[in-house]
Amino acid sequence: MVTSQITSAVLGIVLAGAILFLVRRDHLHGPYALWWFAVAAATFALGVFPKLIPWLGKVTGIFYAPVLPIVVGLSLVLIRMLKLDIDRSKQERQIRRLTQKLAILEEEIERLGADGQRPIRATRDESAR
Amino acid sequence: MPARDEAATVASVVEGVRAVLGCTVLVVDDGSSDTTADVAREAGAEVLRLPLGLGAWGATQAGIRYALRNGFTKVITLDADGQHVPESLPMLIEAHDRTGANVVIGTCVERLSRAKRIAWHYLRFLTGLKLTDFTSGLRLYDERAIKVLAGQEASLLDYQDVGVLMLLSRSALTIAETPVPMLPRRAGRSRVFKSWPVVARYMMHTTVLCIAQIDPARRHAHGGAEW
Repeated sequence: MVTSQITSAVLGIVLAGAILFLVRRDHLHGPYALWWFAVAAATFALGVFPKLIPWLGKVTGIFYAPVLPIVVGLSLVLIRMLKLDIDRSKQERQIRRLTQKLAILEEEIERLGADGQRPIRATRDESAR
Repeated sequence: MPARDEAATVASVVEGVRAVLGCTVLVVDDGSSDTTADVAREAGAEVLRLPLGLGAWGATQAGIRYALRNGFTKVITLDADGQHVPESLPMLIEAHDRTGANVVIGTCVERLSRAKRIAWHYLRFLTGLKLTDFTSGLRLYDERAIKVLAGQEASLLDYQDVGVLMLLSRSALTIAETPVPMLPRRAGRSRVFKSWPVVARYMMHTTVLCIAQIDPARRHAHGGAEW
């Protein structure tokens, strides 16, 4: 009983410490820092005071309390992953548009640098690409 | 015209288009590792060089955004591998003038393989668009289509076909098709119909895209208007 409590306390403290360290070092920015700060606090609390789990089980009405952190943890991981993919899609869109813009502006710079004579505006009605 | 490693054919296509239409020709170099961009510039084309490969649609959209920024009112897209005949471009313009459609797709019915025909039946069923060829890269877009396709919403599409066509149709633009002659690819391969795993992935991707956008009202409202 005592050994298991030491194990969970060590795990919680190490994890919380690592997260805090990363947040303080600015490796995680803005909203991520807040999220991970909360995770650090939770692992610390649950690791050091494992009695919290049966209490939480009683409060939430879950009969087999030890399953509670697993269920909650897994759902949080799923939510986090979903948010991650949403953010990634957003960034992908931004990268694609930036890449296109970069190519367009580069072409304009070259054209202006070349002679300044060639028209920027379309002179003809049609363009084939 | 989007081009990736097409140095062997891009010059003749650029020269052909310039000879037939006399318009501005823009080649979008999609992260080529060969001399596509230099060859195209030498042949008289404007060239956009994408620093990262974005795929055929990403390159095409770069060209469309270029057209919007520089005030062009019509864009014709064609492949740089020589399968689209420059002489067929006036047919697109003629079809555009005749039908008044916002988008004209040049299709070559004879070229469609059995597998493609089956695939298109399936796509017609899924999308409710009545088109014979979904992947043809030979297209004319007018000003309204350019505005829609230059937007944010079109940036996450991976293929130029179904997603683009559904976006156009959702924006209440009309799509017409006109038959054109095409050559077999001189040196190259279809981007979509390369091998069975690629086709399977493409079909799954497209199916998900379609299911995500099913809108029964649109099917009924526009079903008869397009051909």
